[in-house]
Amino acid sequence: MVVSVKVFKKATPNGKVTFYLGRRDFIDHIDYCDPVDGVIVVEPDYLKNRKVFGQLATTYRYGREEDEVMGVKFSKELILCREQIVPMTNPNMEMTPMQEKLVRKLGSNAYPFTFHFPPNSPSSVTLQQEGDDNGKPLGVEYTIRAFVGDSEDDRQHKRSMVSLVIKKLQYAPLNRGQRLPSSLVSKGFTFSNGKISLEVTLDREIYYHGEKTAATVQVSNNSKKSVKSIKCFIVQHTEITMVNAQFSKHVAQLETKEGCPITPGANLTKTFYLIPLAANNKDRHGIALDGHLKDEDVNLASSTMVQEGKSTGDACGIVISYSVRIKLNCGTLGGEMQTDVPFKLLQPAPGTIEKKRSNAMKKMKSIEQHRNVKGYYQDDDDNIVFEDFAKMRMNNVNMAD
Amino acid sequence: MHINGPSGPQAYVNDSLGDGSVFPMGHGYPAEYQHMVHAHWRGFREAPIYYHAGFYIAFIVLMLSSIFGNGLVIWIFSTSKSLRTPSNLLILNLAIFDLFMCTNMPHYLINATVGYIVGGDLGCDIYALNGGISGMGASITNAFIAFDRYKTISNPIDGRLSYGQIVLLILFTWLWATPFSVLPLFQIWGRYQPEGFLTTCSFDYLTNTDENRLFVRTIFVWSYVIPMTMILVSYYKLFTHVRVHEKMLAEQAKKMNVKSLSANANADNMSVELRIAKAALIIYMLFILAWTPYSVVALIGCFGEQQLITPFVSMLPCLACKSVSCLDPWVYATSHPKYRLELERRLPWLGIREKHATSGTSGGQESVASVSGDTLALSVQN
Repeated sequence: MVVSVKVFKKATPNGKVTFYLGRRDFIDHIDYCDPVDGVIVVEPDYLKNRKVFGQLATTYRYGREEDEVMGVKFSKELILCREQIVPMTNPNMEMTPMQEKLVRKLGSNAYPFTFHFPPNSPSSVTLQQEGDDNGKPLGVEYTIRAFVGDSEDDRQHKRSMVSLVIKKLQYAPLNRGQRLPSSLVSKGFTFSNGKISLEVTLDREIYYHGEKTAATVQVSNNSKKSVKSIKCFIVQHTEITMVNAQFSKHVAQLETKEGCPITPGANLTKTFYLIPLAANNKDRHGIALDGHLKDEDVNLASSTMVQEGKSTGDACGIVISYSVRIKLNCGTLGGEMQTDVPFKLLQPAPGTIEKKRSNAMKKMKSIEQHRNVKGYYQDDDDNIVFEDFAKMRMNNVNMAD
Repeated sequence: MHINGPSGPQAYVNDSLGDGSVFPMGHGYPAEYQHMVHAHWRGFREAPIYYHAGFYIAFIVLMLSSIFGNGLVIWIFSTSKSLRTPSNLLILNLAIFDLFMCTNMPHYLINATVGYIVGGDLGCDIYALNGGISGMGASITNAFIAFDRYKTISNPIDGRLSYGQIVLLILFTWLWATPFSVLPLFQIWGRYQPEGFLTTCSFDYLTNTDENRLFVRTIFVWSYVIPMTMILVSYYKLFTHVRVHEKMLAEQAKKMNVKSLSANANADNMSVELRIAKAALIIYMLFILAWTPYSVVALIGCFGEQQLITPFVSMLPCLACKSVSCLDPWVYATSHPKYRLELERRLPWLGIREKHATSGTSGGQESVASVSGDTLALSVQN
């Protein structure tokens, strides 16, 4: 079997130091998080006793650049890890398979490095801007960076610095949960007796991006008013913890009068289907997306997951949650009644479905792989595809100027 | 300068003596304009010529710098795409008011040359109306700029005012400036009259009727107290918000085990708040500088020792608010990074050097991690 491995590559403007990264998406499994593993290649004889330092930084941008007046900056950069990469501080460092592969392929000038996301570090989220806004994206972004210098605090020269944006994402847990989220409310009226009760039940607790949500609405009208129409929304709740701001946006909606009016004494049971999709919310200001690097395969931001026993209040960065909101219009005098049912919208972990089927098979495979480790690597070496960022680098340099 | 005035009995005496300073104020006024001069001024002697010359030169300088500064702001803000934001419309509006105020300057220069208000009552009304609208308009625009900044900075993602809201605010600034400049114009409430060296005009703060006193009191609250309160409250709230944001960010950094390099980060934190406090203070002081002299003179004229209001003293407020209209473009626009960039691009000979580094990399570097290399290396075993 020939498997080609995609490798991301980016060099400093002067081309002397190059990043090689096996991937740009790193998954937070809630109990642990994938480390950022990569390799740096330095052109021989370039350093001359200088060193190469690496950093993992997160940038919070919570306001437009154009609005920065009075010396306010709407962005903060937190350097999460910093490390000396060349010369290696720990020559016996354990390498990940990807690093081993790259080091073998790239020769003696390749130095592996590993960064760990600290606990509680937020996921990458991009807040969508209106149409023609071409400023820096708002949200949480991660960057790895390498630069040449004598010490860590050395002034970083643009020509010998390389940085690459990476993503930190969360995937859905393997178990989608058995509980069906539901909510029950009732509403009385000031000048008349009786109540309208509304019960909403979802068919899942966790949806994957692109999946249809089904909300079953049960209305029983024991009042003297009648329900004129029913509205159904999917609401994205965004909490920007760094400025203590929160807002909600409808990402999918429908309104129906089917089965309406629900006259006094009548009941209605109806299921609404909605698909929350980023594609339907293009150019809408403030919609949160999973940190995105390219325009294709953008999806709405995934719900923020926190470790058990912790509340989302402890989470950092941008906290995302979703709910289905049902609104009943009870006429001009009756007003509106509404209820929210929370659910989670997540990315399926890769191979979730197969995993369930073939856990046993995988185990066997891995044993096999280990048996002929050498052959496996040799096989793979020729199939590394380097994705070069040369063009992007040029653009970045221009932008920086 | 009054020697150039039209010949009359006074002018004749004046010529024969060769020294104007012994004559009472207003003697240089033509007979048909004599009714314009408030009795208060007749108690003072004509100011020596070097006072006139001093103000004359000052006003020329102010006029040129106002046309240059405000003209530049209007030109650049209305023609560059990168500056086309709702908030910047307010800055544009302020520049328009300031330039509007500057249109009085040529009139003043002519008046100062001949020694009386050219155009008589009508000229005086036009002068004072111009000054009233632009002055009150500028002061309320200052207040709205403060409010807009508060909205933008306290809630940068969805708090900023939309185009529609800003346009409404701008309309409101013009409406705000209207009543107390139009009422005296038609002498419905208050009136306009020459002041100072009797070469400028403003509303009447000398007549001691109850009606006029109430007018002065109202205009004091309307064009001074209300905008100043708005400015104070907005910048104070803005400041507290920034402080909270900084604190929350520091807390988040702590949660992620990012221990700040204490000295570095603290110095940075301080500077953000200090920077804002400084900027807010400058704007506030500018407002005080512009309008306190007028308020003080008007209030003294109405309620206090009128003898304190000499022609020279009453010239100062006029000078103060005109100099502020020249300073506005520097304080508001020049502290705007995008405007500076645009200026540098279009007028390289101005010698503005914007720091490119700050616009290239994002924000101030805040903190530094504490995770050591060893722990990193150990946990990569799988």
